[in-house]
Amino acid sequence: MTFISRRDLLKRAGLAAALPVAHPFQGHDAHSPAPVTERPPETPALQPQREPLEHLTAAESDVLDAVVARLIPTDEHGPGAREARAARYIDRALGGALASSRQAYAAGLAALDRYARSSRGAAFAQLSPTDQDSVLIDVETGTATGFTGSSAAFFNLVRTHTWQGTFGDPYYGGNANFVGWDLIGYPGIRTVVTAEDQKRLERHELKPNHKSAYDTDMFNKATASAAPRGGDHAD
Amino acid sequence: MRGALAAVALAVVMGAQTAPATIVVTSPALRADQPIPRDYTADGRNWSPPLGWSGVPAGAKSIAVVCEDPDAGNPPPFVHWVIYNIPSSATGVPENIPFEPGAPMPAQMAGAIQGLSGFRRPFYRGPAPPPGKPHHYHFVVYALDGSVDLKPGLTRAELLDAIKGHIVGQGELVATYERKPA
Repeated sequence: MTFISRRDLLKRAGLAAALPVAHPFQGHDAHSPAPVTERPPETPALQPQREPLEHLTAAESDVLDAVVARLIPTDEHGPGAREARAARYIDRALGGALASSRQAYAAGLAALDRYARSSRGAAFAQLSPTDQDSVLIDVETGTATGFTGSSAAFFNLVRTHTWQGTFGDPYYGGNANFVGWDLIGYPGIRTVVTAEDQKRLERHELKPNHKSAYDTDMFNKATASAAPRGGDHAD
Repeated sequence: MRGALAAVALAVVMGAQTAPATIVVTSPALRADQPIPRDYTADGRNWSPPLGWSGVPAGAKSIAVVCEDPDAGNPPPFVHWVIYNIPSSATGVPENIPFEPGAPMPAQMAGAIQGLSGFRRPFYRGPAPPPGKPHHYHFVVYALDGSVDLKPGLTRAELLDAIKGHIVGQGELVATYERKPA
């Protein structure tokens, strides 16, 4: 990405990784967490397949997926937000903790795509990465037209949720294959850290455990539904 | 008496400085006092426009360009572009100077640095005025002598402060842009 340096972004995202269960939501079967551990870490990230959408339309999902792919792009540091399935996280969360943003996404994604077509001559997803970045700069700086209110507000909304979807706990539908945690060198949630673990961590030799918080018994699966399906806390 | 002498001496020193030479700024894409083509605005591709110049004094060592809108900003002007350390051998800048960090500059501009605009970004962002009236965009070209050490990331104000006393040539091209109400 150009206007958000990846290094700066990762610094800011470190907090998100340290708080991986802060955004519970409904709309995801609490007993069927995302299939995040099926692929060995050394397997190259695959292009995401179209999955059933829960709240976004296919057109909205296409634009959103293209946006998150530029906010945290795949580069020499590894897979980015697209591979982390940040858009999937947002799609699911729009039925739960992010439900109040559903209309903002409908209006904002439509406005962004209209602006891409009018200013650069093609749908956002069809633009070159450079033109996509240029469009996103306009959205970020509030100079893009056609938005309800400032386009900058919509940019900030999507950026925040992209961080959540990339660096949050995989249980919530993002951070697929732990690519977000691997990207920032987060070794995973541990209930016990030995002195030797600490030394390995300081030497950057501590192997990531690639476990969701909900893989341990001490964390309850969180829901935000009106009628919780179990668990006595939501974060 | 001593104060009066000092004032005279200062006046002599100031008088010894010659006024900056006039630089003629042109563009294959922009016309003076005419609307800026859409490709160079936020309604289009937001490319930086191509500029050319002539009349740079022989003693100049580098060129700086600022694009500013005196019809906006708090306080005015709102700054759309700051670029400096352009070699004095350059006779202009091509369109679409890259905005990606680390992207190479065109060969004739090797070493050029983009400073911070009013958007707090180190690259050109074109006109995006609120609807209501045409705004005027001043593309100001400064020719500088060799004794200016300009660090990366300067704002327009910081640049102008740094080059004070080092401007040996100056000129501008003014074009307009207006957004119609939606």
